[in-house]
Amino acid sequence: MHMATSELRGSSLKLTRIESVSPDATVRHVDQLETETLDTFYAAVEGNRPITAAEMGLDAGDVIVGTEYYRVDLM
Amino acid sequence: MTHYVIIGDGISGSSAAETLREKAPDATITVITDEGEPLYNRILIKEHAKGKLPEAPISIHEEGWYEERDIELSLNTHVTSVDTDAKVVHTHDSGDLEYDKLLVATGGTPTQLPVDNSDADGIHHFWTFEDARGIREHAEQSDTGVIVGAGLLGIDFAAVCGAQGIEANYLMRGDRWWRYALSADGAEIMHGGMRDVGVEPVFDSGVDHFETDDDGHVTAAVDPNGDRYECDFAGVAIGLSFNTEFLRGAGLEEDNGIMVDEYMQTNVDDVYAAGDLTRFYDVLLGEQAQNGSWGSAKEQGRIAAVNMAADDEAEQFEWVSSYSITHFDFPFLSFGHPTLGDDHAERKYSDTEWRRIAFKDGKIVGGVLIGDLSPQTAFKQLMREQRVVADQKEVLLEQSVDLDELAPTQEQ
Ligand SMILES: Cc1cc2nc3c(=O)[nH]c(=O)nc-3n(C[C@H](O)[C@H](O)[C@H](O)COP(=O)(O)OP(=O)(O)OC[C@H]3O[C@@H](n4cnc5c(N)ncnc54)[C@H](O)[C@@H]3O)c2cc1C
Repeated sequence: MHMATSELRGSSLKLTRIESVSPDATVRHVDQLETETLDTFYAAVEGNRPITAAEMGLDAGDVIVGTEYYRVDLM
Repeated sequence: MTHYVIIGDGISGSSAAETLREKAPDATITVITDEGEPLYNRILIKEHAKGKLPEAPISIHEEGWYEERDIELSLNTHVTSVDTDAKVVHTHDSGDLEYDKLLVATGGTPTQLPVDNSDADGIHHFWTFEDARGIREHAEQSDTGVIVGAGLLGIDFAAVCGAQGIEANYLMRGDRWWRYALSADGAEIMHGGMRDVGVEPVFDSGVDHFETDDDGHVTAAVDPNGDRYECDFAGVAIGLSFNTEFLRGAGLEEDNGIMVDEYMQTNVDDVYAAGDLTRFYDVLLGEQAQNGSWGSAKEQGRIAAVNMAADDEAEQFEWVSSYSITHFDFPFLSFGHPTLGDDHAERKYSDTEWRRIAFKDGKIVGGVLIGDLSPQTAFKQLMREQRVVADQKEVLLEQSVDLDELAPTQEQ
């Protein structure tokens, strides 16, 4: 299901706030993210800025549970 | 062929099994758990209890995960004792198992309040997926709640009550939530978060006893002041008792946790321990310490496995733990050992932003960030570098922390 990381590396991702999660989603809690990924995640949440896949260490479709639920989407 | 036995299929045991298979392709590996399901995401079960997350994404491993790796998984198997001389693990009704190297990764069990009726129906403790299912089902039908335990696990019950529309009182013994790590300023932000979701913090309180109806269901908590708080739902999270009863007589050194060195070795040959239940030698802190977090448990399992497979002290555990609270509008992160140390610095930046840094011998050993988590990378880096920075608190308390502003480290 997930694209190969190499395909994604150059592409930009964004976080989309979601209200519900589909049963087949990959869901992670913020405490499962590496320190740097966590930083990027919060910067993206705050600034709403796009992030590159390589920077993020996340796959499109992943759901991250922070103060809200966010889905990682391709721009 | 070496036989590795792992007791516990939480994140520490499971991560050890995965690493052992990578490092020892030919070994026999057995994982024993008394739960009825393989590894799941313990830090997401609160989201299930809140009614926000379905069951499926919480599961991490299917049974097929173990089959693919040729790892023997024994579900519903309770270990009753270990003979460390004969190197045998005894189970309740699944026979005995010989091992060459053993990993104890059995975590803890929530402690019950030592008061009357603390085992009444409707009073919940929270550790397993099964607990979460029960909490969710009951919370959906409940109107009034009481929460006990002013720490990181108690606040999850507050969030469940908030999300499930239960009007709840959060009974705390002291004058604030998590008083060992937060000052009044920091705690006030958390109290605001609780009130926003409909949970009222009650201070200088606690529980003297619970009252029940004729069917044995909880109806109220009465605090030591004699004040009565009606509830049809109660959540108790006053601490963990580590699951080590089965080690009685095994000769392992314990001190409210299993003592291990930085390689996760116990004092008994070929017995290792990992996860919540260890009191490990923290190389950054320079003394024995404990962590109760997912990332740390996962890393301890990995480190134990590396050293078990190498039959040597191949890699040491060096880790800055972190623990988030995501239930409110603002983020919260506790890192390292925020309740330890001999000095601290703190500042409030706004109604939802606060920071505290704990120091020991001039070095950062932990802290708490509320509202703005951006300094976490810098603080964790300073911890790993073990830099003496307590004399430069102003730089560390700047809203935006710039490590270049720190005076260069003096040559010792
Ligand atoms: C509700 C809740 C919320 C949490 N939230 C967070 C969070 O936000 N962030 C964070 O970092 N951490 C959080 N934690 C803590 C985190 O989940 C733990 O630190 C981590 O899961 C510990 O893993 P472990 O492998 O050491 O132990 P455990 O996950 O407890 O695993 C131990 C396993 O051993 C089994 N076992 C015990 N005794 C025996 C026996 N005699 N025989 C066989 N099997 C046995 C147990 O049944 C269990 O499956 C939370 C915990 C809970 C309960």
